This record gives sequence, structure tokens and C-alpha cells, in this order.
Amino acid sequence: MVNNSEAILKLHYIFKKYKTRGTFFGPQSKDVIALNSISLKILKGEIFGLVGESGSGKTTVGRLIVKLEKPEKGEIYLDGQEILSLRGDQLKGFRRRVQMIFQDPYQSLNPQLSVLDAVSEPLIIHKIGNNHTIEEITRKTISSVGLSPPDDFINRYPHQLSGGQRQRVAIARAMILKPEIVVADEPTSMLDASISAQIFNILLQMREASNITFLFITHSLAAARYLCDRIAVIYKGNLMEIGPAEEILHNPKHPYTQALIDALPKLDLSSSKKYYNSLRKEERIVKENAGCPFFSRCNVSDETKCGQNIPPMKELGKSHSAACFYA
Amino acid sequence: MNAAQLSTDNKNVIRPHWINRFLEGWSIYKKSILGKIGMVLLAVFALMAISSFIPPKINPMYEPMSGVDPYISKATGPSMRHWLGTDFIGRDLFSQLLVGARIAFLVGISAAFMSVFLGTAIGMIAGYAGKFTDTLLMRLADIIMVMPSLLVLLMLSALFSKLSIWFIVLFIALFRWPGVSRVIRSQTLSLKHRPFIEAARVAGASHLRIIFRHIMPNVLPLSFLYMTFQVTSAIIIEAALAFLGFGDPSTVSWGMMLQWVWKTGHMFKAPYWLLPPGICISLITLSFYMLGRAMDEVLDPRLRKEGENY
Repeated sequence: MVNNSEAILKLHYIFKKYKTRGTFFGPQSKDVIALNSISLKILKGEIFGLVGESGSGKTTVGRLIVKLEKPEKGEIYLDGQEILSLRGDQLKGFRRRVQMIFQDPYQSLNPQLSVLDAVSEPLIIHKIGNNHTIEEITRKTISSVGLSPPDDFINRYPHQLSGGQRQRVAIARAMILKPEIVVADEPTSMLDASISAQIFNILLQMREASNITFLFITHSLAAARYLCDRIAVIYKGNLMEIGPAEEILHNPKHPYTQALIDALPKLDLSSSKKYYNSLRKEERIVKENAGCPFFSRCNVSDETKCGQNIPPMKELGKSHSAACFYA
Repeated sequence: MNAAQLSTDNKNVIRPHWINRFLEGWSIYKKSILGKIGMVLLAVFALMAISSFIPPKINPMYEPMSGVDPYISKATGPSMRHWLGTDFIGRDLFSQLLVGARIAFLVGISAAFMSVFLGTAIGMIAGYAGKFTDTLLMRLADIIMVMPSLLVLLMLSALFSKLSIWFIVLFIALFRWPGVSRVIRSQTLSLKHRPFIEAARVAGASHLRIIFRHIMPNVLPLSFLYMTFQVTSAIIIEAALAFLGFGDPSTVSWGMMLQWVWKTGHMFKAPYWLLPPGICISLITLSFYMLGRAMDEVLDPRLRKEGENY
């Protein structure tokens, strides 16, 4: 656990929408709000988990941070420096500090590039080292992600590697620049459980070795619990609950987080684990939702209170807060 | 080291990627009957093109353009002296046919290369840049596609009285790139949003680097395939232009031969003169087409027959 360190990354009221294009004769284009005033602070050296269901906007947060996309409103600060306006050399410098691991290892490697070419590319782009040192650094990085001996792998092509090996190559590519922040966008969702555990351990080792800050995006609370120091739960582009991982897992305050925990498959049938039952059996039909984003599915909610007002973030003790009137 | 050891050793040899891909593709290509026929036909034509230098060396009267048999001054049928006969002023038809193969390869391959080069470059730029650039380039492609090329060439030849063969090559290239560029553009569009391109962007790669290092190697096989189809159309266009009398009068091509048959009124009198160039044009385009079809199968696994093991 990382204590009293300063924030390395700050998201300030981020608002992002996607336009869906209407058909020629059909209805006009409608906006899909991906992120609605998200504010986050990620501390130096921590593994910050961002948990949510599909379509909740968690991947969008990652893509905004690495500047693959731009928000409509809001600011992002890296070490106090606003990053959305970065251009040219400054942007290149920023790219060195912030890297990303993508979800699908089958898609995130160029099929035409060998492992050596793929992993060493960032070094070449940023003109680090000469031909000799580049290969040496690449070898070192490849073996540090558990592909050893590196000589067996550097001349292979993605189609000659398994899913887990590909993801390791992708991790090596992200790590070779020694970034300060790595956004890991569901790096294990395409891999099976035992490989996932290995990948998690690699990420933990990386953090130990070079104090990298991770933003770990996942749909699985279990994975988040294993890895993360702090967890934020996001639903329909709104931040629901944020707090230390143990707090979120054992003492969830927001009905949505509780529903997520209820949804976790449990191996131990006789477990005395409590059920929160915070998810409605039938969804409420809500025409125009002016209140809480979770209102239509929430069991605890109150028609007049939750249906009309957006609950603000409420402090619930040390660094734990939730956006719910009943928390 | 015995043979078994050798073969296992060979398997572990790390070859460059493109050689592996080539060998893999070749093993699929070999299975295609069309591809084999095309290859054999092309080999024959290539042999013709190479041997076109021999007859003039044997006797100057076999010079395809300027050599005239001193004893013959009209169209005659095949003989030992002239294997395919002579044309209306006594030039040897066989040596003309051989040179025609050379010209067909020259025009076909150089025009196809140029049009594919242009098409690939423009397609990649349009697909990658998107927005205004894309619209501009693709509308330009549309405009060129709907232009009647023969009509335009007719006007051009009226302007410059005589067109050299290289002008015709350039012309074909300029009129044939839009088809290629549309295919390459659509391929680029689908590649552009693949995560490995985004990964390159996150790593800090410039646009040029992304285009040349990440997109180009993925579209090149497709360009290469289109080149074989472009060769076919380039040869046909050249033959048509030559037959209509817009060819380069200083080179002997199969189209020119056909034009001479027609112009001198030997169309139905001298089949030994009319048929060989006609058959050659059909066969060479056919063989390039078959080559392309077989390569299509290599590049697109969906086209392969079910149940066959490659």
C-alpha cells in the first residue's frame, strides 16, 4: 500500500461523448455520453483499479489518458502539467512517460513485425541508444516479462506465439521506455485464468522494480482486488464509489458496487458471505433520468430522492467516498 | 550428420519473415492448377521475349522493323526461311511476334507497376488521412474512372501527332490507378483502427512511420496481387490503342501487327499473319489473370477449397 504520496495524474471533470451518426432518412444523430464529469486522482506508485461493466466508459478513461482521444470538457494533469494541449516534441516527451497495454494481444501486435522489431520500436522512435544497446535493452526487457531465454523469442512473429506470450510482448513494448504511468486496459480479459495470474505477477514485479504507477482497467472485481491498492467503480460514465481496495471489497457502500460483489461467482457454497441484494429484479422504466444513473436498477433507491437528484460524492471515512444518498 | 538430423536442423533455422511467408505462399500456389498453367504460359512468353534478340543477329533481314527479305515484297505464308511468313513488304513475322512479347512485358509490367505504385500511395494517404484529403483524392479517382480513356487518348494523339511507347505506358498508369487506390484505401481504413496502430501511436510513432512501417507491409501483398490484374489490362489497352492506330509507330507490338494486317487489307487473306498476335494477346492476358487468381487464393484463405490441407 502506498501511503501519503502525491498525485501523479489528475483527471478534472472529464466529459466525453460519442456521436452516433443518424441514418440518412432516420432520426438525427444522438450523443452517447461516455464519461460524465469524472474526477480522479492517481497517486504515484499505486495500482489504481477502474472497475465497471462493459460500456461504462472505463476504457475511454484509459484512452483519454494516453491521448488517443480527446475529451469535450475537462482537464488532465500529469505531475501538475496540463496534457491535453501537448503538441510536437512535448507530446513525444509525454508519450515516453505514459504507456498503454491493450486488451487484445491478438490485435495489438503488428503481424508483420518480429518480437525484436515490435519491442524495440519505442526505443528507435525516441532515439534511445545505438544499434547495439537497443538490442541489449530489448533482450533485457523481454526476459523481464518472463520470456526467457530472450533469444528464443526475438526472431519470432506474433502468429508463432500463444496469447499469453503475445501479451507479454505487448507488456515489454510498453515497459521498454521505463514509463511513469502505464494504462493497462483489461490486459487479461482474453487470456485464461492461470495465464492471467502470471501476467498480474509480472505487473506487480514491474511496480516493485521501478515504481511504475498503473491504471488497471478491468471488469473483474476479483482481479482488481488481487492487484490494486485503490479501486474506483464507474457506471454509465459516472463515478460511483472510490476507495481502498479492501474497503471496496469488504465494505461497499454504493448499491452498484454491492451488486457487482453479489455477481461475483463464489466457489465456497457454504460461505457465510452476505448478499446485498441491491439490484432490482425488474428494471424501473425511466423516461427521462434526471437523477442517479443507477436509479433504474437500484433496489435501495427512493422515487422522489434518487429519481430527481443526482447524488453527490460523499466522504465516508478515510479516502473512501460514494455517490449515493443512502451510503 | 545424417539426413534426418539435417531435416530437423532445417526446421529450426530462423529465416527472415518474408522468406517464410514466401515459402508458405508458394506451397499453396503450387496446388493451384490455374497458377501452374499461368506460370508455364508466362515462362513461354518470357522465353519468346528473351529470344527476340536472336533473329536479327542471324541475318539482318530478320530485323523486325527495318529488315526486309530481298526476294520477297508481298505477304507470303510460312516457310523454312520465314517460320510464320512475311508481311506486305517482306518483313519476317516470327521475329515481329518475338519482339511483340518483349513489348507486351515491357508495357504490361511497367504500366502496372506505375499504376499500382500510384494507387497504393494515394490509397494509403487517403485512407490514413481521412476527412478532406480522403474526399478530394477519392473524387479525383472517381473522375478518372469515368473518363473514357480511348477518347482522351484520341484527343492527345491529335495534339502530339506521334505518341511514344513510354507515353502510352504513362497514360495507362495514370488511368488505371483509381481501382487500386480504392482497394488499398479500404484496406487502410480497416487497418487504421486496429489496436497495433494505436499502440504505435502511444509509443510516439509519427504518421510517416505508421504508414510505412505498420500499414504498408500489411497492404503490399494486396498491391502485388492487383499488379498482376493491372498487367492484363495494360496489355489489352496497349493492343487496342495500337490496333486503332494510336500506338507508337516505331515499335513492333502485337497490336501494331494487327493494325498492319487490317490496314493493308490482309485481314481474311493471311491467317498466318492475323492469328499469331491475336492468340498471343489472349494467352498472355489469360496467363497473367490466372497468376493473379492463384495469388488471390494464397492471400485470401476464404477462397481456398474446403478440406484441403495446406
